[in-house]
Amino acid sequence: MYRTVAQLDSATDLLATWFPQHFSRQVLPEASVEGRPVHALRMRVGGGGQRRGVLFLGGTHARELMNPDAIVELAVDLLVSHANGTDVVYGGRTWAADDVRVILEALDLWFVPCVNPDGRHHVMTVDDLWRKNRRDNPRTPCDGVDLNRNHDILWGVAQGQTSCSPCSDVYCGPSAFSEPESRNVKHLLDAERIDVMVDVHSYSELVLWPWGHAPNQTEDPTQRFTGLQRGTCTASIPVGYEEYITPRDLLRFETVGGRVVDAIAAVRGRVYTGQTGIGLYPTTGTTSDYAYARHIADPTLRKTYGFTFEAGPYAGSTAESFHPADPTLVKLDTKAGMLALAQQSVCAIELIGVQLLQRDTEVAALRQVRDELLVTTDAGRQWVALFERVQAPLIGTVLADAHLSREAAALLEAVGGAGGDDPTPLQPDDLERASSFIALLAERTDVEAVNTDIGAVRGSLAQMAGLSLTDAVQLLMRAAPADQRQPVTGS
Amino acid sequence: MPDTPRQQPEPSTGAPMRFEATVHPGQALRALDAVADLDLDRVPDVGGELRLLVTAEDAERLVDQGYEVRLVQALRVRPLDQGLIMDDASAQSWLEARVAGIERQEDH
Repeated sequence: MYRTVAQLDSATDLLATWFPQHFSRQVLPEASVEGRPVHALRMRVGGGGQRRGVLFLGGTHARELMNPDAIVELAVDLLVSHANGTDVVYGGRTWAADDVRVILEALDLWFVPCVNPDGRHHVMTVDDLWRKNRRDNPRTPCDGVDLNRNHDILWGVAQGQTSCSPCSDVYCGPSAFSEPESRNVKHLLDAERIDVMVDVHSYSELVLWPWGHAPNQTEDPTQRFTGLQRGTCTASIPVGYEEYITPRDLLRFETVGGRVVDAIAAVRGRVYTGQTGIGLYPTTGTTSDYAYARHIADPTLRKTYGFTFEAGPYAGSTAESFHPADPTLVKLDTKAGMLALAQQSVCAIELIGVQLLQRDTEVAALRQVRDELLVTTDAGRQWVALFERVQAPLIGTVLADAHLSREAAALLEAVGGAGGDDPTPLQPDDLERASSFIALLAERTDVEAVNTDIGAVRGSLAQMAGLSLTDAVQLLMRAAPADQRQPVTGS
Repeated sequence: MPDTPRQQPEPSTGAPMRFEATVHPGQALRALDAVADLDLDRVPDVGGELRLLVTAEDAERLVDQGYEVRLVQALRVRPLDQGLIMDDASAQSWLEARVAGIERQEDH
């Protein structure tokens, strides 16, 4: 069963009215083409200022009916978990109540269940396979702009599944951000701190990340979309062109995308594929590519990691794939993917350093080591991936235990405060403290993969005695986790 | 949420038809990449085929250009089956049931 636009609006209104300590709802600046309001719902637990933000968008394409419902239901599931102290269980995948609490205390979750309310209404009242918004295209018999082609990333490059023809279902509109519905998304990215976003579509069981217009490459930073022609309504991207992405960001997309795929698979065994957008088909002007492209086109803007989900399988017919008679199981998969994405958006270092210690300097120093040193070698990138793998399952354990929290904070201060070029050998006490901390973490988890990663950390710590911090970082850049694993039993 | 089986299509009402179709190079061995230039409604196909929603005129145009078009399903342009749309009371009662027992602002 699918909610009408009014029912989606009512649900977010009631959540904000009944539970104002957790939800706040805002009407986005622009009404839809037909005058309907578009709403964003923010969810958080606790106070404080701006936090890392994760944005969930649904209903961009009208006929993909499941996703607005899944987004509203995810917000409700998280509320129920937090209020009752219960786990979130989606099939075979469980998020412990402590993990949900960490997510809600660390992040601002932004829900825009229905980006394109006119389109959804049209699907329910006129044409169940309508895709676009309801723009009247002057001097043509055709209506609608594809909102997922209307953003300012190579807008008007008509290649693959992007068109300048108003009668096309992938019409990019008369100009970038010509549509109020896409301007609303831009407004959120401009006005709020959004570190990660996902635009949830259907179908194909995919988790997509940039780029949609060309294959990725990590070698030549001069090959960037900012140097390409746009707005010509031709396929102006040169044959053989490959778009640059930094190794750090590619690693992040692949690692986080992989965790999302894993979470979905754990629900009931559906195997989603993580890949770049162009793997589905070539596109320009998409929401998720625009979100990620912003900081490249304008370095004063925040970086937002942009993902697209394509929820659900081909179900024997197009109609049944876009809006199955029973969407329950696909929604479970989608909610698991969204929650995994949120969990992967919690930065353990930032949470401990900034939110618990109010210490920006140490966090910045560690971020610098990661982004300027570790990601420049294959071994270093494997260490970054390892950290991003283990932080989600372990941060709840650390924060729920006062001793572990104190130890994590002390270690962060010691390492972050040392400075990257300090020649002084690492203090034996600090190394011992780190080893003890790791041993305690190992005792608290029974997940084999996490213990394997912990074993690699222990192995590397054992080799750091007598090294300076600089040399220790160099060690991590030379020797991958697989080379350093130690058994984790015993301390 | 309770789910309702999709209703069988109603008899023809004269509303336009569209077709789900896959497109193939045909005997003319036409390049499928060029189909993108025809501004048709491509839908995903995990098997890698070129799957489209087309009108009869679109399909005819593809055939005239040398493509082989395999019609998968005929779809009349019509609203979503109303049996798949939640009614207002069910929507409200679902939310009420999910948050039952959680203290609300209005409880103060």
